[in-house]
Amino acid sequence: MRSISTEAKVGLFILIALIILGYMSFQVGEYGFGLKKGYIVTAVFDNVTGLERDAAVQIAGVEVGKVEKISLVDGKALVELRILPNVQVEKDATISIKTHGILGDKYVDIVPGETKGSYIAERGQFQNVEKQADIDKLLVELGNIAEDIRVVTGALRKVVGGDAGESNLSAIITNVKELTANLNSVVKANDRKFTVLVDNLTSASKQMEQTFASLSEITGKVNQGEGTLGQLVTNKGVFEKLDNTLASIQTITEKINTGEGTLGQLVTNKGVFEKMDNTLASIQTITDKINAGQGTIGKLVNDEETVTNLNSSLKSIDKSMVGINRFVSKADQFRTFLGYRGEYFFEKSDGKSYIDVTIQPKEDKFYILGLVSDPRGRRKTYDRITDGVTVRTEEWDRNGLLFNAQIGKRFNDLLLRGGLLESTGGFGVDFFAMRDNLKLTFEAFDFDLDRDPHMKVFGEYQILKHLYLTAGWDDFLNRDNDSLFAGFAIRFEDEDLKYLLTSAPIPK
Amino acid sequence: MIQLIDIHKSFKKQKVLDGLNLEIEDGKITVIIGRSGGGKSVLLKHIIGLIKPDSGQVIVDGDDIAAMNERQLNETRKKFGMLFQEAALFDSMNVEDNVAFPLREHTKKKEREILEIVKDRLQAVGLPGVEKKMPSELSGGMRKRVGLARAIALHPRIVLFDEPTTGLDPIMTEAIDKLIVDTQKMYNLTCIIISHDIKSALEMGDKVAMLYEGRIIEEGTPEKINNSENPILRQFLSGSLEGPISVI
Amino acid sequence: MNRLIQAIDRFGRSILWYVEEMGRISLFFISALSWLVRSPLKVRLVFKQMEFVGVKSIFVVVLTGTFTGMVMSLQGYYGFRLFSAESLVGSTVALGMTRELGPVLTALMVTARAGSAMAAELGTMKVTEQIDALYVMAANPIRHLIVPRVVASIAMVPALTIVSDFMGIMGGYFVGVKLLKINEGIFLKNIYKLVGLDDIYNGLIKAACFGLILSLVGCYKGFTTYGGAEGVGRATTEAVVIASISILISDYFLTALMF
Ligand SMILES: Nc1ncnc2c1ncn2[C@@H]1O[C@H](COP(=O)(O)OP(=O)(O)O)[C@@H](O)[C@H]1O
Ligand SMILES: [Mg+2]
Repeated sequence: MRSISTEAKVGLFILIALIILGYMSFQVGEYGFGLKKGYIVTAVFDNVTGLERDAAVQIAGVEVGKVEKISLVDGKALVELRILPNVQVEKDATISIKTHGILGDKYVDIVPGETKGSYIAERGQFQNVEKQADIDKLLVELGNIAEDIRVVTGALRKVVGGDAGESNLSAIITNVKELTANLNSVVKANDRKFTVLVDNLTSASKQMEQTFASLSEITGKVNQGEGTLGQLVTNKGVFEKLDNTLASIQTITEKINTGEGTLGQLVTNKGVFEKMDNTLASIQTITDKINAGQGTIGKLVNDEETVTNLNSSLKSIDKSMVGINRFVSKADQFRTFLGYRGEYFFEKSDGKSYIDVTIQPKEDKFYILGLVSDPRGRRKTYDRITDGVTVRTEEWDRNGLLFNAQIGKRFNDLLLRGGLLESTGGFGVDFFAMRDNLKLTFEAFDFDLDRDPHMKVFGEYQILKHLYLTAGWDDFLNRDNDSLFAGFAIRFEDEDLKYLLTSAPIPK
Repeated sequence: MIQLIDIHKSFKKQKVLDGLNLEIEDGKITVIIGRSGGGKSVLLKHIIGLIKPDSGQVIVDGDDIAAMNERQLNETRKKFGMLFQEAALFDSMNVEDNVAFPLREHTKKKEREILEIVKDRLQAVGLPGVEKKMPSELSGGMRKRVGLARAIALHPRIVLFDEPTTGLDPIMTEAIDKLIVDTQKMYNLTCIIISHDIKSALEMGDKVAMLYEGRIIEEGTPEKINNSENPILRQFLSGSLEGPISVI
Repeated sequence: MNRLIQAIDRFGRSILWYVEEMGRISLFFISALSWLVRSPLKVRLVFKQMEFVGVKSIFVVVLTGTFTGMVMSLQGYYGFRLFSAESLVGSTVALGMTRELGPVLTALMVTARAGSAMAAELGTMKVTEQIDALYVMAANPIRHLIVPRVVASIAMVPALTIVSDFMGIMGGYFVGVKLLKINEGIFLKNIYKLVGLDDIYNGLIKAACFGLILSLVGCYKGFTTYGGAEGVGRATTEAVVIASISILISDYFLTALMF
């Protein structure tokens, strides 16, 4: 029996490894082998805390896509979703962010819309973005708050509502007056200590003031939103009571304010103050609760949609907003990149620089304009005929500045481009991998019958947001001119330039 | 012709070659003798560019080896064959592949042709039929002979021998010496042999040179060397402990 | 006091030594690279090395991978059970294997098996003048000895890593599902859900880097051997030490860069 050859063993092993890799990739990769299937839709959220890239997108609990990208646009979160190609989403579908799973992962939930037949297209945007939490949850929360308020109101009424309370208060004030007089003498005797004490008390009362301030802020909001709230909270009376109570509180506050610093030290009417303390604590709790729930209430109170619908005069503004939106989204599509690229050639100890502008009017279409400074220049061959003998001389044309002007189109991970490369005709192929972090490029230009064309291969890897490292092999067909090189590139999208280009009148 | 002109070479602080001058004629056998550790191997490696001198020139056919880049050096090296002190056969290859190595590397000959040449060379060194053996299965003498077969596989013009007979029994020594002389005659080689076997040096050499303390202190025909008055040479020839060379 | 200074001095020296070695290895790498692109590969030699580095390492890699996956599964189970999240064991094993343990363990095993052998083999060739013989025959040893080993390692360590990843996950599956009776469906679903293509591919990129490191270090150490049999022993030890340290250090930076 012949033993298996080295090549066969190695080949078999690599084959097995590749099969396993293929199997694992297929199992793990939702869309198989890293191909990006499906289309992109976008939505703008006020807040996407906790939502991560690759989070699931679900309709009725069925996963239909993933979060592709999250970026900040005008202080809001622009979320790009990749939706499976066979799934369509109605234009009036509602999108929201929800939580599930034992680790509380956030996911994007889409509730299908009513109007079948009108679907969101590639790079289309959701119009119905649900800002509020579940309405059920909200109602429960509101109910709790109302209950808390009722308890406090009751407590407050007991303290200051009755005649006893009033007399207690006047007793306090009398005491305060006495105490002030007493204190005056103490102050003179014990000046420094007292100052500290007063300082402490002042800050304590400031805190109390803040509590009241936030309370009245809430009251204001609740008052404003009364109409809306009224529909939700049946017990309208609660709010009136609250109003009254708050008025009383205000009065008390004023009264207490006159006796300011010494309040804490008053121990004579221990009972009253204990009650008062408790009440204040409860108010604080409610304030906190409302503050926390403020967003929820606020959303109900300031429901923009309701406002626009009710107020017809605002509709025109709305229309113009839509116009602006369209303008902005057009500018969004029209992207411009500025880039610099430097290469160092090891075999020549020489450098080469590229500056280019890439204009991307559509997602898959590119125009590339650029300058190449090549201190080495270009090799030129001259044939001179002297005495019937052709003498060929090769020279380096050091007229350093060269031009790039190319048009390109991208198919999935492949970008084909052609046109002027370094002032000669040529073409290039870019292959993108690893979410576009890695770009492998092949370029061929400077075609000449007498010698091999200039071919160049290199890779470019994104290490930071705008910074790329690059390395490759230049002119590898021409043995006397080939060189390895390495370098870096900087590339960024120019917002200013983008603005200028889109707003300047462009002749049609 | 090979000329070594004013070669200096030190390893760290140790001076090995110190202003060495030597001329090697084409088509002749030049034997270099000297003490163990005296720098003979270092000298030989200078000739083939394995070691570059700190200063001085190594001129082979008019070109200075010391100033050559890798590519030029490789061209020049194709004129050379070298038999190393321990033969330096590739452990991972059998005898056949060892001898075939330079042929596969530098010629476009067909495999059948190459195997034919290998067989022929092994025949020439008196080792027919060992093609499939691994170097580890050979005795010291056999290894050196395979090494010689490999060194002459490409028909080089110049062959360097680094102590070809050291450590062999007298009969094997004689056999290898004869083999070298025969091969030299057959292909009209330029041979440079390093040896401290003074007897065979005087028998084989067209020219003998004595290396001592980094220089050639005496050179000439075997007769001239044999009759030299140089005390160092005399001591070396007689193998005596008495004399200017102190061993202990 | 003096002792302390001496200790610090020694520590500084060893760091300096390590840095210097790194520098020399990098230069060595550049010359290997220039030979790699300059002349056609010695395909036969590459295959031979692939067999040595890859095929012959399968067994140890399968063994280490499987048992690592098994032990991770077991440990993970005890940990996750504390908050009833046993279903995450599978994805923990899978993520751990693909991102870290697969590449690193494979690289360390290959270093121990093949990296040391490279140093020893080339070291022996060096001290017995076989490398000089290559030079003399106008055959560049970097092209004949180094490039095939480096290319083979860059190709085979990722291939072995795939095997290691797979066996690790299998081992984890066996322990988790078959022995500890974690629900199979959820176990697998969490793997599919939480492990991404990136995890696998980045792991393989790492593995390729490790292959480069271990072969370069092994070859460099062999290539610069001096001092007879003792020198060969020293070169081998240093090769394993430097390669292992470099693999672990570079692992951190590669991880920081990629994930
Ligand atoms: N590459 C080297 N590095 C350091 N020292 C060396 C090197 N090659 C030879 N030497 C030293 O040079 C001296 C001469 O060695 P060598 O030429 O091998 O002696 P021999 O005459 O026995 O062949 C020895 O002392 C040896 O230690
Ligand atoms: Mg010697």
